[in-house]
Amino acid sequence: MTDNKTSKEQKYDRQLRLWGDHGQEALENAHVCLINATATGTEILKNLVLPGIGVFTLVDGHKVSGEDVGNNCVSITIFSKPKVTYMLNDVVLILQNRAQAATELLQELNSDVSGNFVEESPDKLLDNSPEFFHRFSLVIGVQLPESTYLRLGSVLWEAGVPFLICRTYGLIGYMRLIVKEHTVVESHPDNALEDLRLDQPFTELKHHVESHDLDNMEKKDHSHTPWIIVVAKYLEKWYSEHNSQLPKNYKEKEAFRQLIREGNVIHHIQRILTNENGTPEDEENFEEAIKNVNTALNPTKVPSATEDIFNAEQCENITSQSPSFWLIAHGVRDFVRNEGNGKLPVRGTIPDMIADSDKFIKLQNVYRDKAMKDAAVVSKHVEALLQSVGKPPESTSEQEIKLFCKNAAFLRVVRCRSLAEEYSVDTFNKDEITSCMYSTDSEMVLYLMLRSVDRFYQQHSRYPGVYNYQVEEDINKLKLCVNSLLQEYSLNVNVKDDYIHEFCRYGAAEPHMVAAFLGGSAAQEAIKIITHQFVPFNNTFLYNAMSQTSATFQL
Amino acid sequence: MAQLVGPLRKELADSLSSCRVLVVGAGGIGCELLKNLVLTGFKNIEVIDLDTIDVSNLNRQFLFQKKHVGKSKAQVAKESVLRFCPSANITAYHDSIMNPDYNVEFFRNFQLVMNALDNRAARNHVNRMCLAADIPLIESGTAGYLGQVTVIKKGQTECYECQPKPTQKTFPGCTIRNTPSEPIHCIVWAKYLFNQLFGEEDADQEVSPDTADPEVAWNPADAAARATASNKDGDIKRVSTKEWARSTGYDPVKLFNKLFKDDIMYLLTMDKLWKKRKAPLPLDWTEIHQLGVFGYIENYVETLRSQLIEKGEGAELVWDKDDPPAMDFVTAAANLRMNVFSMNMKSRFDVKSMAGNIIPAIATTNAVIAGLIVLEALKTLNSDFDQCRTVNLQCCSFHVGVIGLVQILTLAVFAFDCLRNVFPVIGPSVQVSMKTTSVSNNNKFLSDFGIRNGSRLQADDFLQDYTLLVNLIHSEELEKDVEFEVVGDAPDKAPVSSVPEEGKNIANGNKDSAQPSTSSKAAEDDDVLIVDSDEEPSSSTMETSLESSNRKRKHHDADTDDAASKRKRLDQQPADDDEDIIALD
Repeated sequence: MTDNKTSKEQKYDRQLRLWGDHGQEALENAHVCLINATATGTEILKNLVLPGIGVFTLVDGHKVSGEDVGNNCVSITIFSKPKVTYMLNDVVLILQNRAQAATELLQELNSDVSGNFVEESPDKLLDNSPEFFHRFSLVIGVQLPESTYLRLGSVLWEAGVPFLICRTYGLIGYMRLIVKEHTVVESHPDNALEDLRLDQPFTELKHHVESHDLDNMEKKDHSHTPWIIVVAKYLEKWYSEHNSQLPKNYKEKEAFRQLIREGNVIHHIQRILTNENGTPEDEENFEEAIKNVNTALNPTKVPSATEDIFNAEQCENITSQSPSFWLIAHGVRDFVRNEGNGKLPVRGTIPDMIADSDKFIKLQNVYRDKAMKDAAVVSKHVEALLQSVGKPPESTSEQEIKLFCKNAAFLRVVRCRSLAEEYSVDTFNKDEITSCMYSTDSEMVLYLMLRSVDRFYQQHSRYPGVYNYQVEEDINKLKLCVNSLLQEYSLNVNVKDDYIHEFCRYGAAEPHMVAAFLGGSAAQEAIKIITHQFVPFNNTFLYNAMSQTSATFQL
Repeated sequence: MAQLVGPLRKELADSLSSCRVLVVGAGGIGCELLKNLVLTGFKNIEVIDLDTIDVSNLNRQFLFQKKHVGKSKAQVAKESVLRFCPSANITAYHDSIMNPDYNVEFFRNFQLVMNALDNRAARNHVNRMCLAADIPLIESGTAGYLGQVTVIKKGQTECYECQPKPTQKTFPGCTIRNTPSEPIHCIVWAKYLFNQLFGEEDADQEVSPDTADPEVAWNPADAAARATASNKDGDIKRVSTKEWARSTGYDPVKLFNKLFKDDIMYLLTMDKLWKKRKAPLPLDWTEIHQLGVFGYIENYVETLRSQLIEKGEGAELVWDKDDPPAMDFVTAAANLRMNVFSMNMKSRFDVKSMAGNIIPAIATTNAVIAGLIVLEALKTLNSDFDQCRTVNLQCCSFHVGVIGLVQILTLAVFAFDCLRNVFPVIGPSVQVSMKTTSVSNNNKFLSDFGIRNGSRLQADDFLQDYTLLVNLIHSEELEKDVEFEVVGDAPDKAPVSSVPEEGKNIANGNKDSAQPSTSSKAAEDDDVLIVDSDEEPSSSTMETSLESSNRKRKHHDADTDDAASKRKRLDQQPADDDEDIIALD
């Protein structure tokens, strides 16, 4: 058991540093359904199997075709297995079901992962037992015809199962995420400000700051006092001269910096008077204090995204069915409105800074202890809430609450529009489409083209340009599809002929390098959904391999 | 049926099967890249990697499985690819690309070179070789969720070295040896200690107290006290740490007492250090087991000692973050030192991250980047450079290469025949290793100065405010009676060198700062040879540039103090017609 644990730790070392043990655990508990083991499909699954997803189920009703094992797009044969070599020369084996073949190959990549396959087309499954799809943490549909993903989309929307549509169409990549509500506690923001509360110090911090006397310190102590204390001390001075108002604008902040600079010099002069050889020198901690003035004095307040979460209906109306995210969010809201006096629980971490270890640890503990205290109060609120809806207090863990409090300023809720909303002429996002199409080369044109080739498929039961000899006549047919699409949605936009030609030329091919790109991107989004870490895109992603550009739209 | 390479032009699709490409590196990006290449239709692929497969590769390098651990990456990658694409013609080299066997001629065998490397030394090297061979290069890298791909084509794009890269943060020796203030200082110390005890000894990796610490103003009276303090370990400072450790039979008690008690007491005698700092607290062997798991250093020492013995006389261990005993030892030693210097101890997971310079690596980013490389490769083969995602800057002075035999080319020939006659450098004087040597009739070979294949030489001409960077490529395949060959054109005026900016360099994989894995350590640093001039142009070759040199001179006079003082120094030199050699390391 422990052996298994160490070997996993070793194998997954490089990724644990991104999403941690709990992220890995979420991944190992996930069950992902992938429909269609095409080049893009197998790329996605490979990228999920390698990092150690728990279970995958592959749904594919296709036989392995010449296309799969042909010259180049041998998608399923990318996985090293002798059998595949054999397959290339054996027509009988080529008729093997694609789902089974790919499952066996994928499982070889990671023995920790278990894989199932269903030799059935998704349409058949939807006909016979749509609830088949309810069991999954996430369903990924690859290279599906429009009619299939619209049906599947509505089943999954009702069941609350996240759905990711992926498509490689020539040199175009497309992804669409459909999730009613996806909550993220650990959004890993890039440039988060520290939560230091210097503008509104809590009692313990106030006492701690008071315990320092910068004016009567030995030089050694003076230059090893954490900059947070230095700023807090000078802020007191500033308040006494400025009506207890924080330095707000650039000018005031500059004046505050000057105050610290002068204070440092004065200290040295005083020491010179008493010490024989104390020459004024730059103290690094004071330099640090001056450097940090700008961000450290930001007023403490609840960020608007978090405020929105507090005001959301799900936060307001807690029931026994409420997910723990909303339960805890409600608990934190109660804290903010009562004990917190309008402020979130203290985060409890401070940045590295110049200080001796003793002083640093003491200061760190002041913040850490306060964070623990605040989290304990939130726990009480959550407990009361659980009781009121008739759930046992242990249904949320202490750890979960602490993590939530620590990230309270970075909470995110992603709500995607449904496919039905996107497709209905009453609710489609006309403004977004029209405004993007002001520039005729916006990636939005690729979206319109994909919708048009779907229309083509609906009418002709094949995609345009798949047969070389038809490319010319398909161009006109596709043009008709584009026009009827624009007409149906009353879109007054211009789709350049170049794009119509280009999409015919693609012949719905799935070139591997585009599949590789999309496979990596889609798997990463899947990992975000599964681990509830980092913020997934919302809701349409388009990639143009020709120009190497991409864009996201809310459609 | 769908066209297999539908979106590609037919001629391009056809050319793929005859095209020869080189993939440098068979790791995270390399595995994905090899797969994409054969599935796109490339048939003739050569792949080189000197690494062997490690367990921690398996979360992303899908061509490898558990049973392959310890085997050559290039070889296993080739075998795995052949299994699903038997028609591919793949050659695998388990070797360093910096090996001189892979010379310019070797690079000229390919239509395209693709880097899938994890360290800067090898990237620089391949960049220079591709410029010399005039073969397009696609450079790439990933770090966690970030990645980059760029196309480098001589004369058309910026090259890998055009923009200075931030250098790895280093710590002064005295911080490591005397006054660590952060955990990383203790971790670096522990890695040094590992090498001193079990690995390759390096004079720059001393672990004992540094008596030459500039902070400690020397006072003869104190010296006596120090001598007494150091008497306890007698002569050990004069013999190497390894010798001494071996002579004690790697006795854990003796080792421990020297490192965490005696050395620390010695440090305490350097009392100036502790006036502004918290003084360290020597540890006692009897207290060690109270320090939790980090106290079990004796077990790790014992394991490593037996590993060393197993390897035989004169063997050395190489520190590897993924080797458990080596990692355990460094974790323990670093934490003991952190304890001595009153720092909060660090977990093994965190120590590993810092000691190994670990940059997270995941399958998804590599897959994305490898897909992009192939797209850029197709555009490159199609000569669509304006379509490539690249930086089109004509600032690249590295496009100049000189090919010659370093054992045959003498300094005089290089300085006069090559620099003065071929490039617009006026009267060269040369600095090598801070020593001044005469250039004329200097028949020392370039190899005598440590210049070898891939060395980059910098020629500064203060008179013209001109800087020329020359890549020297060693070649044994020059035509008869030819001493050197110049590749590429010298720029009219070299760019003003810029200062490396602080900041994250996402492109450089996870080993830039650690030991390069695809290069030999010795080749890591370039030898720089500076050629400058203090003479007025006199030779006829200079007539054409006289005017511009005067103009530039004016500009130069207004230049910084630094340049002016250099000038002054040069002006004071004896005005013989002989140039001087001053050498830099």
